[in-house]
Amino acid sequence: MALNTAMPVLIVDDYSTMLRIIRNLLKQIGFEDVDEASDGSQALGKMREKSYGLVISDWNMEPMTGIELLREVRGDEALQRTPFIMVTAESKTENVILAKKAGVNNYIVKPFNAATLKTKIESVFGA
Amino acid sequence: MKKTASSEEAMRQPFDRVRAYVDGKGEHTSFTDVVALAEITADSMQAFFESIDRSIYSELREIADYITNMRNEITQLRAGELKTDRIPKAGEHLGAIVMATEEATNSIMEAAEAMLAAEGEDEATYKALVNDKVMSIFEACSFQDITGQRIARVVETLENIENRIGRFAAAVQTKGEAAAEESERERRARELLLNGPQAKGVAIDQNDVDALFS
Repeated sequence: MALNTAMPVLIVDDYSTMLRIIRNLLKQIGFEDVDEASDGSQALGKMREKSYGLVISDWNMEPMTGIELLREVRGDEALQRTPFIMVTAESKTENVILAKKAGVNNYIVKPFNAATLKTKIESVFGA
Repeated sequence: MKKTASSEEAMRQPFDRVRAYVDGKGEHTSFTDVVALAEITADSMQAFFESIDRSIYSELREIADYITNMRNEITQLRAGELKTDRIPKAGEHLGAIVMATEEATNSIMEAAEAMLAAEGEDEATYKALVNDKVMSIFEACSFQDITGQRIARVVETLENIENRIGRFAAAVQTKGEAAAEESERERRARELLLNGPQAKGVAIDQNDVDALFS
């Protein structure tokens, strides 16, 4: 099954450069409909206004962290089925497990390249 | 207050003297005897009170020395200078580092995006564009020199603080740290934020992460 690059993607990170990097990588993969949010609460607001096919989020953000966003999304009936990938420089086993228990679909360790991002997105969608 | 051997002896002495006086008198004790006993007691207690005076003086002297030492150490900490000068400057350096790296990254990415977007141009135009953008990238990379200097200043400040606090801790002979009250911000940072990126060896790589999802 081919990856549907027409779906809207929401990227969440408090660093504008990281948002830009992920946006460019997604563009390289073929995604054009990409929106940005600078923290979990802003992302949650955008998700309630628009239906996203995928959320790619950083963990360390304030006022709402990536793990809090994930829990909010999984606890919201309308949003809970949205695929969610965590992207973070943090890679301690216990935190990966914590994210997995909270319902994350995949976890990418920074720094990463377009090939890794594409592989992870494909694995989330079984493509 | 500590009981010394001399103060114990001074305390015992009047009773020994009274016992010796009473033993010498036998069973009959007159008013004169009572007055004599009181004189012996008062005379003997003098030594006891003198020994207490010496003991209290010695302890107060130790406390005074300790306070003087603490005052010197607190002066050496120069907390005012840390608060008004060094720490705010370190904060300014760190803020400037974040801004400089962000600006440099954006400049580099803008240049890269411009090169990627170049289409349908003749070779000479394309080459000129690439040259121009590569020069922009070189210029942007100069941030490393400036941020390196700023980081060195921050490290110097941290070392300075570490030395001062280490010296103070040694002077007050702290054995354990009392648990400071945790602020809401600190609690959130501990419970919800991560401390990465980790040093090599502590972190797991993407393959290990993938294994947890397989």
